[in-house]
Amino acid sequence: MPVRRLTRCAVLTALALALSVAEGLLPLTILFPLPGLRLGLANLVTVYALYALSGREALLILLARCVLGSLVGGNLTALAFSLTGGLLALGTMAALKRIPALSLLGVSVGGAAAHNTGQILAAMAVLGSRAPLLYLPPLLLCSIITGAVTGAASALLIRQIPPPRN
Amino acid sequence: MATPVRSSGAEGLRPTPGDLVLILLVAAAAVALLFALRPHGGTEALTVRVTVDGETVAEYALADYTEAVQVAVDGVSWPLVLELSADGVRVAESDCPGGDCLRTDAIHSAGEQIICLPNKLIVSLEGASNAPASDIDAVAG
Repeated sequence: MPVRRLTRCAVLTALALALSVAEGLLPLTILFPLPGLRLGLANLVTVYALYALSGREALLILLARCVLGSLVGGNLTALAFSLTGGLLALGTMAALKRIPALSLLGVSVGGAAAHNTGQILAAMAVLGSRAPLLYLPPLLLCSIITGAVTGAASALLIRQIPPPRN
Repeated sequence: MATPVRSSGAEGLRPTPGDLVLILLVAAAAVALLFALRPHGGTEALTVRVTVDGETVAEYALADYTEAVQVAVDGVSWPLVLELSADGVRVAESDCPGGDCLRTDAIHSAGEQIICLPNKLIVSLEGASNAPASDIDAVAG
């Protein structure tokens, strides 16, 4: 990987980490008590990387962010959660991006919905119970809003910061 | 029309009717799931079941608690205190990271539940009518 690309990935990873930490300081759950509800600011970086760079770089940034994030403030359970949600979201977005009828907004909403589904699946695996499934419908409805917000912000970002040429 | 193969760049940034279809699909999935999991529990003769890591550690009949009583839950990684009263149960104190269980509202009817993920704890309400209640009856919180 050329040094320029490597540096860009490193900077974006740092930005994603900073956004997750910032989001953790003011969780959306204070306003609306729904376990697992997040705005998903770090997803801005994933969407930007997916559109402006490549799927491979988006994946590398995502993996680095999840591993470093769990070292900074979490534990192994947190790592399992962020990886399940993050990978499912990235996979879904990479697939949806190939559908010409969808714009970044739809791709981002699909990613948010996939992220929440992944987290619920991880919670079901951890608890060994179907109980967390109850939280999925309200989370899916919220993901339409959070996905649209981060999608709109990402579109703005990509317009303002054109993709690098190399 | 949009080209099937999309390179990076400014393409695909403008919202399309396809986005609306996807949003409606997500909403439809949520509503269908909500309907499938809808509560059908009563608020009479409730039993609180406390499950930690898949094993039931305590059961309380709410009718016995005319005044609110706080009880500590045993066997959890982070100390947690429940408040039982005649009409429901809530998490009064918890040292778990995140504190989602604290922010979940009190539960009042059969099929509702409170989950504390770090503690692998499920507090569920079961009614007399649906004694071995399925654990997917209602949305708590």
